[in-house]
Amino acid sequence: MALVKRTVAMTLLLLACLTVPRAAVAQPAQGGSPKQTNEYVPISQLPPQDQLPAAPLLIAAYSFVLIVFFLYVVSLARRLSSVQRDVDRLGATLKPGSKP
Amino acid sequence: MPKWFTPVAFICAAMFAFSPLVIANADYESTMGLVQKIFYYHMPSAWMFLVAAMVCGVASIRYLVSGDLRHDRTALAAGELLVVFGLLTLVTGPLWARKAWGTFWIWDARTTSSLVSWMIGCAYLILRRYGGPGSEKLAAALALFGMANVPFIYISVNYWRTIHPATSVVPKLPFTMGLPLWYCVISFSLLFYLLLKMRVRLEEQRATLDSLYLSLDEQH
Repeated sequence: MALVKRTVAMTLLLLACLTVPRAAVAQPAQGGSPKQTNEYVPISQLPPQDQLPAAPLLIAAYSFVLIVFFLYVVSLARRLSSVQRDVDRLGATLKPGSKP
Repeated sequence: MPKWFTPVAFICAAMFAFSPLVIANADYESTMGLVQKIFYYHMPSAWMFLVAAMVCGVASIRYLVSGDLRHDRTALAAGELLVVFGLLTLVTGPLWARKAWGTFWIWDARTTSSLVSWMIGCAYLILRRYGGPGSEKLAAALALFGMANVPFIYISVNYWRTIHPATSVVPKLPFTMGLPLWYCVISFSLLFYLLLKMRVRLEEQRATLDSLYLSLDEQH
């Protein structure tokens, strides 16, 4: 009985000795050198979100903001000058002695 | 317009002209790269959008309580700026998201509540434009809903699981990214204030014009 137990224990120890180093080799060390590149992937094969260039989106966003500001300021200035003109015209009409 | 308006407008224009240089010198974000630089215009626009909603709401409350037309004019001016800055936020955000998230739009709490707030702003302006006499008070009540939405928009990213960055991003920004952001925030705030003053001035001139027409009618 003792012989059977000893044999089983020795077998398990032998198996452990054989498998643990292989498992350690298979697991790359954390923080080690980057994974070796085995192939180059053309950009056309990447998913669409990775292919998309950032510059046109950035330029579009900044241009849109500046154009909207410009148009809004022009619109406000035109509305203000138009109302101011009407105020001046009516003010002149209402002055005593002037023709309506 | 007051005397200080023109020099301050020049300073504001110079700040905007110089802003691309300041932004170009900012560090690139590690995962998003170049497209993250939309942030420097997107976030100040979003802040001004929320500020406009708050100004519109507070001025509307003051108008409803006091009946003072000056507050109504401020509310109308802020309502228009809400729509302008909201439009900028809702356009620049999706342009950034297209690259960073792979899609223009997601229906998360912040984007959806921002869209709702912008639509409330549009409804406010439509009501003011086409509502006829007496629509000012109804529009003021609508502005309160727009203002009530503001805290929800701000905290939504902290309470809902979403891919929108949390509010903790801005306080943790390194100096090289924080400096361009605060530069742009100051530029946008200055522009917001100048536009608000111009828009209020327009409403004041319209009120003057109405009173002049009434005087003319009385003369005849």
